[in-house]
Amino acid sequence: MVLFIEKPFKRLMRIRGIGQVLTVTAGLVVLSIIFGIMNPIFFSSRNVANLLRQIAPILLIGIGQSYVLITGNIDLSIGSVVGMSTMISATLMTKGINPWVSVLITIIACLGVGLSNGLLVSFAKLPPFIATLGTMTIARGIAQIANNNYNTDSIGEAAQGLRDFFYYGKTFGLYNTIWIALVLWAIFNFILTRTKTGRHIYAIGSNAEAARLSGVNLVSTTTKAYLVSAFVSCVVGLITTATSGMGTMDAGNSYELYAVAASVIGGVSTLGGQGMLFGTIIGASIWGVLQNGLQFAGAPVAIRNIVIGIIVVISVLLDVIVRSGRGARKKRIESTT
Amino acid sequence: MKKLSMVLLVLLIAGTMFAQGTKENASAYNIYLITMDQMDQHWVNVDKGAQKAAEELGNVNYKWLAPDVKDDAKQIESINNAVAGGADAILLAANGPNAVTAALKEAADAGVTIVYVDSAANFPAVQTLATDNTAAGTTAANVMIAALKENGVTSGKIGIISVNSATASTVAREAGFRKAFEGTSFNILETQYCNGDAAVSKDMSANFITQGVVGLFGANEGSTVGVGNAIAEAGTGVIGVGFDKSDMILSLIKNGYILATMAQNPDVMGYEGVKTAYRALNGEVISPEYVDTGVSVLTKANL
Repeated sequence: MVLFIEKPFKRLMRIRGIGQVLTVTAGLVVLSIIFGIMNPIFFSSRNVANLLRQIAPILLIGIGQSYVLITGNIDLSIGSVVGMSTMISATLMTKGINPWVSVLITIIACLGVGLSNGLLVSFAKLPPFIATLGTMTIARGIAQIANNNYNTDSIGEAAQGLRDFFYYGKTFGLYNTIWIALVLWAIFNFILTRTKTGRHIYAIGSNAEAARLSGVNLVSTTTKAYLVSAFVSCVVGLITTATSGMGTMDAGNSYELYAVAASVIGGVSTLGGQGMLFGTIIGASIWGVLQNGLQFAGAPVAIRNIVIGIIVVISVLLDVIVRSGRGARKKRIESTT
Repeated sequence: MKKLSMVLLVLLIAGTMFAQGTKENASAYNIYLITMDQMDQHWVNVDKGAQKAAEELGNVNYKWLAPDVKDDAKQIESINNAVAGGADAILLAANGPNAVTAALKEAADAGVTIVYVDSAANFPAVQTLATDNTAAGTTAANVMIAALKENGVTSGKIGIISVNSATASTVAREAGFRKAFEGTSFNILETQYCNGDAAVSKDMSANFITQGVVGLFGANEGSTVGVGNAIAEAGTGVIGVGFDKSDMILSLIKNGYILATMAQNPDVMGYEGVKTAYRALNGEVISPEYVDTGVSVLTKANL
């Protein structure tokens, strides 16, 4: 009987990085209970609905950053692509272009940034930090130039359908934003865990040279990861446009770092080859719960920033400790045999 | 010989024309406007006012210089560029009170007249033309208190959405707003800073509404749009009062989600600023040192 339970549990524990995911999941539960005790409104149905919707964009950019981090790279252009997406889509709509046509054009433009990132990193072999720093600045520039250096006017009544689709509407009692995040999460989780592309993404993150020698196409695999990142950032930009009913040039500022935080708290390694999107859900949730819960607790924004920073550092520290522990154990086993 | 004299004649005429041209430029004053960035509609309106004054005055070479984003180092660069470009006067909207003072001292040493528009720095200037943000914040609070009273609400929680804790103008608005609530039985919650991002401001406003606030104040454009969208979604009787004037804010007022917005008069700053600079360059003594360009309270009734 014990064996019967033990087997799947052992299999679960064999997944690399699961330890941290389980730890932070426990952390999320504890954190939520503490906030709930401090202020019962935290668990009110209205706040839970709002909170889940506030987590959704962080989860989406977290998915993108996780993909890129697992390949062993980083995407610093996420926040700027969010800004570019909101400015392009809002500008087109204020010019009277059909909202859904605007969305299509915006997606194409944002995928262009993802394609450039992928090619610069994998084909031109630029360090990802530099390549995406460049595209980050360029994308922010495009966001600014989209409406001639101004925030846009209201996207108007014609775009009400789009605003409901991305943000204000509900389906089966949950805000659409949450559904969008969940559906995209399910798709990208499937790709990462069940397809060849997914395996290749892990492979080049673990050891790019070995992966190349065993026939993995580095250029196309890396580019795919950056395309995912640009796509989800674009969706977050569209959600931002829907939320505000206008385009602000500063939208998405430092989101790339929020995305790193969500990924890293959720156990995705910044060294590549390790992490799972379930962890990213937990990472994004911790981020959202802290933002929301600390506001209810009446904490000043500065305190919130400090707390989030500490949690990011602790999560990475946890990863480092677990890794070195495992390394030490391995050595012990090797020396005894 | 004939040809040569023709060429000489042409050269002579061209030369005198050129000399006249430069003479005209030299007698005109070079006035530069340096704002925090080029993005905000607010700065565009300062520029419009300044342009109008320059056209009316005639012999002014007016130019708008601004960094692409709010950044102290970039603003210092703009000041240095204006001085190098032969500025006689600079109209400056200082990014922060202290960061640009060294650059201003260099400019002043080079004989440049300094006038502050919108935000002053800690360096003597001929005049400051700005919105008294503390007073404007108090005006916003009084509008809110009056509206709440009309609804029979005399106590409850109030939420503030602002930009950050470092921008002098929004910090002053917040201070003025809080001051007006002293002695009332309203309770102002911890301010939420959202960097002027309308989407983030909306989320934070929604959290405030969940906490049961009776009034919400947005300290700038993005904050106000966030407040308005949150009130529109919640559909409750929360009173929203905002700051700045934009197409989006006006539509939120028309739809009844925002009760009032405090509109600054940036065009007045630019217009009067150029005139002040011109008079100072002509040797006039300028007073007063500080001019409050005021705010207009825009509501559904007076739109």
